[in-house]
Amino acid sequence: MIVKDSKMKRKWGMAIDLDKCTGCGACSLACNQENNMPIFEDDSDVPKRVAFLELMKVTNDRDAKFPDVKTAYLPKMCQQCEGNDTHGHKADPPCVSVCPAVATDVGDDGVVSQIWSRCIGCRYCQTACPYEARVFNWWKPEYEGTFKEGLNPEVSVASRGTIVKCTFCSHIWKRERDKAVAKGILDINAVTYTPACAAACPTGAIVFGDLNDPNSEISKLAKSDRAVRLVNAIDDQPEDKKKALMEKKQYPNPKVYYLTSQKWLRDMMRFKKNS
Amino acid sequence: MRRSLLLFFTPFILFTWIFLGISSKGCADFMQADAAKKLPFNHKSHMQLAAINGNCEVCHGYEENGRFLGIPTVGQCTSCHARDGVLNSNDPNVPRRKPMFDSYKDTDKPWTSWAKQPDLVYFSHKVVMTAQFEDGRKKARCGSCHGDKANSINGDMIKGKMLMGQCMDCHTALHISNKCAVCHD
Repeated sequence: MIVKDSKMKRKWGMAIDLDKCTGCGACSLACNQENNMPIFEDDSDVPKRVAFLELMKVTNDRDAKFPDVKTAYLPKMCQQCEGNDTHGHKADPPCVSVCPAVATDVGDDGVVSQIWSRCIGCRYCQTACPYEARVFNWWKPEYEGTFKEGLNPEVSVASRGTIVKCTFCSHIWKRERDKAVAKGILDINAVTYTPACAAACPTGAIVFGDLNDPNSEISKLAKSDRAVRLVNAIDDQPEDKKKALMEKKQYPNPKVYYLTSQKWLRDMMRFKKNS
Repeated sequence: MRRSLLLFFTPFILFTWIFLGISSKGCADFMQADAAKKLPFNHKSHMQLAAINGNCEVCHGYEENGRFLGIPTVGQCTSCHARDGVLNSNDPNVPRRKPMFDSYKDTDKPWTSWAKQPDLVYFSHKVVMTAQFEDGRKKARCGSCHGDKANSINGDMIKGKMLMGQCMDCHTALHISNKCAVCHD
């Protein structure tokens, strides 16, 4: 069986339904387990901690009394930005354009990759990232006791002094690709997968899929009224103003959509649409 | 004058020589360079057999999910070289019993691989070996990365270190994507 057109047509995206999310943290746990996150003595030590997916707690008011207190948890990982092509340049995410060592790159499926062995540890990308999604390995990853024997063999453990980040579990995609080839399916676009966080979500709040496919659940959710992205209200401006802002600012154009119908959350995160 | 200089340097030369000897022995132990000597293997004579007929996958096969099995186990060897077989035969296609397998279990792998990819390379033999041109020719063969292993008569290394450039050369020439995430995670 020969496939003439083996170009990747998919563009992976994610939608996180904050109305369904209970903040249980199963996604964070599954992510840590899947990606061989090291164990530190004190996980509340934020600069030292290494985690791809963090639950960001959002409350309406710090001084609010009982009936008015509202809380939401945003699972915040790398938003796999696309960037915008201002001034005729190639559209690059903020982190890719600053990397001096081509350690980070946008794949054919739109996933921003990060190769730790190529990283020189300058942390430009960590500074450039608008979402603080990149973490720096300040210390050598350490695993207690026999924990090291239970690590995921498909994810390499990054060394000290390199940046690591979420890659939408692209090793699962590679594994599924191998399985498909072993079965005789040679079409690269037939391979679908589910990242660890989406598979672990007990309420089905995290939906993962192909944004280029108009019939997929993710592209329907991305077009719905509840969908917002963490781009600080540029998305909701009128078209001409949006274009001007996109030219002026480094517009990340992320591929992770958050779905919320709660007015206070939109106000808090400055998502003005529909409020 | 010259003689005293030589006397002065002799301990340094001796020390360096001994140190280099120890370190090269240590490296050889670490790399298990002499592992091939434990069980001699002749690729060339095996490739000419009727049961193998030039097909590497008879011994270096795949798992069901496409994972490459790599070096075969002694159990695979003894499936032909039966532990209760004949010791001598005139027909080269009749596998003989090899007494050297008696000290090994079926799950042992007494050889060492020269070809090892780093941990962060996600490389699938199945995908690369399945790729075909439009006229049905295979894009890659075993020899294009591993060298002429089929004609080797011992376990020596016949091809040096394989760098990423060699992968990328083939990918560029065959119009396959060269993005980082294709192989790295």
